[in-house]
Amino acid sequence: MKVSAIVFAGSLLCPAVGVFAQGPNDAQIAAIVVTANQVDIDAGKLASTTSKNPDVKSFANLMVTDHTGVNKSATALVTKLKVTPEDNDTSKSLKAGGEQNVTNLKTLKGAEFDKAYIDHEVAYHQQVLDAVDKTLIPNAKNAELKALLVKVRPAFVAHLEHAKHVQSSLAKKGS
Amino acid sequence: MITTTPSRSRIASIVAAVSLLLGSMAVAAAAPSARKPTTHTVVIDATKFQTELLTVKAGDAIVWVNKDPFAHTVTSQSGGFDSHVIETGKSWRYTATKKGEFPYSCTFHPTMKATLRVR
Repeated sequence: MKVSAIVFAGSLLCPAVGVFAQGPNDAQIAAIVVTANQVDIDAGKLASTTSKNPDVKSFANLMVTDHTGVNKSATALVTKLKVTPEDNDTSKSLKAGGEQNVTNLKTLKGAEFDKAYIDHEVAYHQQVLDAVDKTLIPNAKNAELKALLVKVRPAFVAHLEHAKHVQSSLAKKGS
Repeated sequence: MITTTPSRSRIASIVAAVSLLLGSMAVAAAAPSARKPTTHTVVIDATKFQTELLTVKAGDAIVWVNKDPFAHTVTSQSGGFDSHVIETGKSWRYTATKKGEFPYSCTFHPTMKATLRVR
């Protein structure tokens, strides 16, 4: 039940991470990182103001602060490295998926909103982690960029576990 | 003739000050100073307490330094201590007076777990 919900939510997310013939370059990786964080910040801001559930709200607030922090670091690094983030199919797809999610969430209220937001967060963090492990870290050329990805990765694991925890508490409440 | 000799009262006040100073030094020296408290550092990086088990002696201080780009907390489950929010780049200092074993975590990222042992 839970797994199928995750798979379903995951299939709604269209970003095709890993479509690069030779893997993304550092400028493309930078764009993917910044976009992936921004997408989660946008959803978090919406959930923070829309949800009435304290667990969902505090999770959403954490997403906003953590991903804002990661993006600040990423932006500072690319500025230092004089790398201009380069849009690519993955970053565009992430952006479009994020916009679609926010549009969908705006039509929902109460428990339906909470469930949709959290289900998406679980699937999204899983997907971002896969991308970090299979595409971004292996392809990052610059040592500092690679190190930043390695450094922030455990936060995404913590977010995923946190989202799953909220997901199961919502399921108990709803049943 | 111009005299440079300090007045009697000034000498008296200097003597008093010196004796006070010596007196307090003597007290300090006499105080039991078996061990100087140490300051330990625990780095928080990559959403992890980099020292998972730290053993200190009662009276020692521990400084947690947050090197992550977002906030963390150092919170003992049993309620022994709680840093509350440690912002990015900031640190929190705690003097361990209570002996025991204190598992702690970050309230924002419960995957972060470590233990402080105070002997």
